[in-house]
Amino acid sequence: MKRILVVDDAKVVRMVIKQILTRNGFLVVGEAENGREALEKYKELKPDAVTMDIVMPEIDGIQGLKDILDYDKNAKVVMISAIDQRDALQAALLNGACDFVVKPFEDDRMVSALNSVLAKE
Amino acid sequence: MVISPERLRMLEVIMKLSIDNASRALSKTLRTGAKITLSKIYMADFNEATEKMNTDTREMTGIIVNFKGNLGCKMLFMLPLEGSTILTDYYLRQPVGTTKEFNADTESVSQELGNILASHISNTLVSDFNATLLPEPPQVHNDYAGIIFSSLLLEQGIYCDQLLLVETIFEICKTEITCYLFLLPELASLGKLLDAIGERK
Repeated sequence: MKRILVVDDAKVVRMVIKQILTRNGFLVVGEAENGREALEKYKELKPDAVTMDIVMPEIDGIQGLKDILDYDKNAKVVMISAIDQRDALQAALLNGACDFVVKPFEDDRMVSALNSVLAKE
Repeated sequence: MVISPERLRMLEVIMKLSIDNASRALSKTLRTGAKITLSKIYMADFNEATEKMNTDTREMTGIIVNFKGNLGCKMLFMLPLEGSTILTDYYLRQPVGTTKEFNADTESVSQELGNILASHISNTLVSDFNATLLPEPPQVHNDYAGIIFSSLLLEQGIYCDQLLLVETIFEICKTEITCYLFLLPELASLGKLLDAIGERK
């Protein structure tokens, strides 16, 4: 079972993502509220993949992505955000994000993004 | 700053497009019909606007979002407290009435709905009008309508005595919640939006 870390500042979003992933055979091993916590949890839990929001307090998702990839260049991070703008997409992809899912999303879109990213191992 | 009727009409079209986009995103998020309609766009005197809102003593949930970028803007999404519990049930796909009072879930749902609305409004402005605009994390307040509205205007009032207000009415299918969405673009950066659609003065 693939182990996922879910990062979003809104508790209910983490809850909904966890429900979708659990229904689809993933194991959510941890949750984080911002980029700083994401790195801490990544080091502690060593998940197979991370779902990462962009707009978060303290350390945002783009910085969180950079920090995780600095720590582990093979980390697999899928950005999940309501921001659907060229600059944000570019920043995410140039900094190593594997995919970008725009909120609100269909359950299948997120599941297929993670399956596809994890299949590349 | 004086905004001519022609410019106001252009702004109305711009705002309608971004609000339509936000409306669609909200419907998809809540999986029910959510319709946001632009009610009016107008220049308001700062003191008159705050005085008018101060007479509204209903308890509301207000979600304030600041945007950063070349178009300064603020957004306030405000709804009655009982409305925020209904939206929580829609968001969490549970029967309406399950959430009895404002709690941690309600606060989190309000925060996320503010994020969805603000992001989709900014997505349209960025893609269609060459603005740079990113929402910051939403702040959720429970208070009287007038107090929430005043806190939105406070910073703006320091810089100018006039405001451009975009008022909307917001209806959620099968409920009687009336919500309000105010957009408050900074007057100084409005010219950039208008430049993007061709009118230069």
